[in-house]
Amino acid sequence: MVSPLLLDSVVYASLFGLMAVGLTLTYLTTKVPNFAYGSFVTIGSYTSFSVFRIDHVNPYFSVPLAFLLGALVSVAMYLGVLRMLARRGSSLVALMISTLAIDIAFVGIFGIYSDYLTSHYGIVDSKNFFRLLADFSLYGLPGLFYTAPISLALVTTALFLFLTRTRFGVAMRASVENPSLARVLGIDVERTYVFAWFLAGGFASTAGSFSALWLQGGTTVGSGLIVEIFAASVLGGLASIYGAAFGGLIVGASEILLTQAGITVFGSWISIYQKGFPLLIMVITLLLFPRGLVSVNWHGILRPIAAFVDLLANRLSEIFRFVRGK
Amino acid sequence: MTAYALYLVVSLSLNLEAGFAGVPNFGKVMFVAAGAAVAGSVSGRLAALILSVNTHGDYNGFIAQIITQLDSSLSGNAVLSIEILLLGILLAAAIGATLGFLTSYPAIRLREDYLGMLLLAAAQLFQIFLGGYEPLIGGTQGIEVPDLFAWAGNGIEVRDVVVLGFLALFAGLVYFYAERIARSPLGRTLRAVRDNEVAARALGKDDVAIRRNVIIVASAISAMAGALLTFYVGAVNAEAWTRITWTFWIWVMVIIGGAANNAGVALGAFSFTFLFKVVDQVKFYFQGSIPFDVNWLEYLMFASLLILILAFRPGGILPEKSSVTLPWRSVAQIMQPKSRIVANPTQQSSTPEPGKSDQTDKLGSPQTT
Repeated sequence: MVSPLLLDSVVYASLFGLMAVGLTLTYLTTKVPNFAYGSFVTIGSYTSFSVFRIDHVNPYFSVPLAFLLGALVSVAMYLGVLRMLARRGSSLVALMISTLAIDIAFVGIFGIYSDYLTSHYGIVDSKNFFRLLADFSLYGLPGLFYTAPISLALVTTALFLFLTRTRFGVAMRASVENPSLARVLGIDVERTYVFAWFLAGGFASTAGSFSALWLQGGTTVGSGLIVEIFAASVLGGLASIYGAAFGGLIVGASEILLTQAGITVFGSWISIYQKGFPLLIMVITLLLFPRGLVSVNWHGILRPIAAFVDLLANRLSEIFRFVRGK
Repeated sequence: MTAYALYLVVSLSLNLEAGFAGVPNFGKVMFVAAGAAVAGSVSGRLAALILSVNTHGDYNGFIAQIITQLDSSLSGNAVLSIEILLLGILLAAAIGATLGFLTSYPAIRLREDYLGMLLLAAAQLFQIFLGGYEPLIGGTQGIEVPDLFAWAGNGIEVRDVVVLGFLALFAGLVYFYAERIARSPLGRTLRAVRDNEVAARALGKDDVAIRRNVIIVASAISAMAGALLTFYVGAVNAEAWTRITWTFWIWVMVIIGGAANNAGVALGAFSFTFLFKVVDQVKFYFQGSIPFDVNWLEYLMFASLLILILAFRPGGILPEKSSVTLPWRSVAQIMQPKSRIVANPTQQSSTPEPGKSDQTDKLGSPQTT
């Protein structure tokens, strides 16, 4: 039997990995932290919820729809707001505030939608619903234990192949690294950015539709998660997609595991602070190594350690030979 | 009206930080909530100590009866009430300043986008702490606060007028202070640091200290506002201090009104509270025919308004004014006597600027695509 702790950690970690990848995609392209990203997650959550409650279809089948919805909304936000403002010369802070504005707009939109669900379909828990009990079971474990990490792995692999093996993907990497030079080379930078935002929104809602099976849902799912998703992206390093996946895994897993460790050591009152652990991680990351894990000089740390281990091994084998009377 | 006064104070403080000094504070709610928490937890305990009210060793647990006793004692004692009020405000300011000081360390060293994320996270962390650490303000349930205006008579009207007068006085003082700073050399220094810190540093201005001090002062002011709101409402509750209300709406007021322009911010805060009231009144007319709560439209309305302003009038309704300079006649007089040409080259460079309003927004340098 798998411990619930491991279960929780795996699912949580995978979901965060997925979300962080999308967030980093939006940051890489526009260099603006997207505070409305959590709302894309909520879109996915509500898609699953609506499809399940109204049409009685398993949420897993709604994932493509959620992906598409989130992707389209994300592109609309990029084109209609961020790109429009950037072209008018808005400052970075102004763009950040515009993403906050979109987040607020979504509060209204989700409020309206949940009210509509209640009044039109008689769904009473539309504003705050317990997780959907529609997950399948395999070897006694919930389906999400398999689907979440597999999705993350698929997405990361697909991204890797896309970014390295396809022309459009390489063009996207070029557009992110040096837009002016990419334009000079004839790459349609705007098209790659639009596609990046398409993917980002899609990843967020996919994670959101999964989360409806695992976490409580409601109008504030996304805005509650946004800071933790930022923590994951920042930990990995906002400049790296794989860092984001990695950061998401760490943040998701550590939230569960650290809380549990804290409860064991200090008592159950720690459980209230569960959401605080990713935030603490983010604060520490920003203060100590703001560029994230990918920026840490691993070679610089690992090489001396490897050398030391090597030295130790040599000394030990010398002593060993001496003792054997060689 | 009370809401306007308090929103005005907090948005003026944000204007100081972000509008004039260029420090984007996305965690404003943390400072306001800290002031509220201080007011809530300390003032009642202090009053209980002074008036020898028995707290049975568990202030939060016996809060209801403690407050009732305190209220009746305080209603006859105006001097003590005002003393505790002022002390609560000062303590809130001190805690706010300390928090500001702690925040200034990363604020100075991080770039705007990282700083925005950090402050957002810190504010959320603080809210978790406020809600989780029960001994402070009773966690998510919240605690009551002694009515420090009970001496103003039992009639609702008299007390309300007194409270309003107090808040208006406070708001007026803050506005006066903010305007004095804006029109002073310090104000120009702030703007210089905001616009080009390297140049400011080259001219001998310690931009690190300046930004740190601005954050400390602005945080203290916000904390005072939080304390006052707590005293006005009579209770403090961790859940009431939401990111939307006290970070986002404040930014909306500052941007719509006009960043780096105190009159603009006052106008922005006024329009905001006014529009809210208007929607509140008007919604009854068509609430029946819509399948959702009309209040949600307010969020959409303000979000679109903010984006429209950012797109078409980024300086806000009342954009930042150019610095106050010497009148042309004085400059001509200074320039005139030939023997004094070498005396003060800096004075010659202060040419009167045209009073045109700037269309670029003053929150930072415009982004180049």
